[in-house]
Amino acid sequence: MTVRRHFRVLAIAGAITLSLGLSACNSSKNDTQAGGPVTIRIAMGSSGADVDKTFTTLKTQYEAKYPGRKVEVIIQEDDTYETIGLSNLLSSRNAPDAYFEWSGTRMYTKVDEGYAADVAEVLNGPQFAGRFNPGAFKGMTRDGKTYMVPWTGDVTDVVWYNKKIFADNAITVPTTWDEFMAVNQKLKDAGITPIVEGNKDKWPVGNWGSQLVSRVIGEQQYEDMMLRKAPMNSPGVVQALTHLKGLADNGYINASVNALPDDQAMSQFLLGKAAMTAIGSWLVADQVSQAKDLQVGYFNTPSVPGSGDQQSVLGVSTGFMVNAKSAHIPETVDFLALMSASDNTKLFVKAGVAPLTVDPFAGVAADPNTVSLAKLLESSPVVVKPADNIDVKVAGEFYDAVAAVIGGLKSPQEALDRAQTRVDALPKA
Amino acid sequence: MRPSARWTPYLLIAPALLMFTFVVLVPVLGTFGLSTFSWSGTNTAKFIGIDNFTRAAKDDVYLQSYRNTFIYIGFTLVLEVGVGLVLAGLVSMKGKRTAWYRAAFFVPVMLPMVVIAVLWGFIYSNDAGLLNAILDKIGLGGLSHVWLGDPATALPAVSVVSGWVYAGFYMAIFYAGLQRIPASLLEAAALDGASEWKIFTRIKIPLLRNMVEVAVLLCVTGAFQSFDLFYVLTNGGPDHSTEIVTTYLVQVVFRDHEVGYGAAMSVVLAVVVVGIGLIYARLRRKDGADLEY
Repeated sequence: MTVRRHFRVLAIAGAITLSLGLSACNSSKNDTQAGGPVTIRIAMGSSGADVDKTFTTLKTQYEAKYPGRKVEVIIQEDDTYETIGLSNLLSSRNAPDAYFEWSGTRMYTKVDEGYAADVAEVLNGPQFAGRFNPGAFKGMTRDGKTYMVPWTGDVTDVVWYNKKIFADNAITVPTTWDEFMAVNQKLKDAGITPIVEGNKDKWPVGNWGSQLVSRVIGEQQYEDMMLRKAPMNSPGVVQALTHLKGLADNGYINASVNALPDDQAMSQFLLGKAAMTAIGSWLVADQVSQAKDLQVGYFNTPSVPGSGDQQSVLGVSTGFMVNAKSAHIPETVDFLALMSASDNTKLFVKAGVAPLTVDPFAGVAADPNTVSLAKLLESSPVVVKPADNIDVKVAGEFYDAVAAVIGGLKSPQEALDRAQTRVDALPKA
Repeated sequence: MRPSARWTPYLLIAPALLMFTFVVLVPVLGTFGLSTFSWSGTNTAKFIGIDNFTRAAKDDVYLQSYRNTFIYIGFTLVLEVGVGLVLAGLVSMKGKRTAWYRAAFFVPVMLPMVVIAVLWGFIYSNDAGLLNAILDKIGLGGLSHVWLGDPATALPAVSVVSGWVYAGFYMAIFYAGLQRIPASLLEAAALDGASEWKIFTRIKIPLLRNMVEVAVLLCVTGAFQSFDLFYVLTNGGPDHSTEIVTTYLVQVVFRDHEVGYGAAMSVVLAVVVVGIGLIYARLRRKDGADLEY
């Protein structure tokens, strides 16, 4: 009897506390449900200060165009966004209504997890009429549905060089790996650090390794390797990583390669402390804001002996996905339409990125490298996807191997044998 | 005074009980439950029994993360507790500026760890770092090194930063203990001709024993909770040489989206930490010592 009464008392106490808690939760519901202004949340990783500012401009435009609506722009550090940030945001109570994402595997994952609204119908509607060529949607569709509003095309890896250093040392752009090694030696002899890389997070040199592997063993074999259909420690992959090993063994790359973050490596390059750095097209955005007067050029990874297309480009398109769980999908689409409008894509061009709209560069003084990179991506016979755009876990093991090689810690064979063992231990995809 | 109703005590403890249930009990049970599933965090969870645990037992990076954590504990016992004890001894000596030193040694404890990590990242930087620059200046340029890029030096380098931060914390604890030692005892020792060093090693340290034991326990359990310092300085690299359990856990859960596997790793971590705590408590009981604090 006493026990039963105790339970009843506890139940009452629990109910009181729970109801107090729930009423507190209810009071924190956003204004929208109380008939207040609609607030949409747009999340992304930072693409450079000027690009970030452009989103503030868009927010102002949107709020002026649609009175009673507010925009909250959430910009996180790019690595944080890619790893922890977006996942946390999507699983939070105030999940973003639209969010930046890379096309391909990452986008498919969001589709599978129910965070992607099909935007095919609105993209065919008047708001987006004539804004995109069909090619812009590559990697953004699945089962006849479109899950992304295209934003930019990123060439994920090219070799950037300091034009003045090249000119001062009478160096021409190399087209083969042997020429590239000769350029490095010449720079080293002149007392200049040939290459600076920031591989603390492993993907920067990992990307370069991905491109070299695809060049040596072929694009299909490379993709099979990342999909666990082909071994990672095959002679071709070892050969590809041996090219990178040559850079480390000869002292052509900074000794701090595995300790330096990628943004600091870019800063060192932009400060003229090294002649080259291998990174993606987003360097332009940093150059525009940090070193506008520095003359930089780029060249695609030089050709190596192998069965892959030697003109291939490592690249990926990006876009904004509309959260299927959003309560404000029409309002969110309005924002993305504004973002894709002709005048606004030109703002992005000025900030140093290459929008995927039909006419981003028309009538705007765009950075020549941005225009050139957009053309490179568009005209490339083969666009190879970065490894982490295929299978993030396999890519992680591959990047580990590349980091061990470029850091001079392991031979390519040892590093890749270890990576293969770890891939074998992963649960089936 | 008796409560006005029999159920009043239950009503009073209900909020705390509910808080404990939702904040501690449910997450613990939930994590244990999750550890038996394959789940990305958003897809449909699939029950896989103990597969996550058997995988963890064979995961060489996970095992290495424990090795690294224990090495880190070894370093921090010296650099945090040992140095903290020495600092406490120094600042408790009579002198004009000891209060200033106490404050100076304690300041790092008050700084956010992320700020400290960024700061030390610049100090250790190979390209423009203070440490290598100083070595160059004093003619020891040959010792210049990529401190955070070499597996042989990365973990000791991170441990030094940890020591720099927490030595002041342990100094404060030991200093408080030293102040409680009766002055008459120290005066008697001095009258008997004991030097400052003998007083410190033969009288003060033995009397601080309980505090040292608490500090060791805090240091060991704190090492398993470390994350931000490692994440910012090295992110587990190079080649997993500074990978500790928490950095690997974050990678597994947030990069690989393996929430079930991460939960299993967390369960193992919790068992290890609780196990160490129990063993430690048992060893202390055998010694017949009881905690005063």
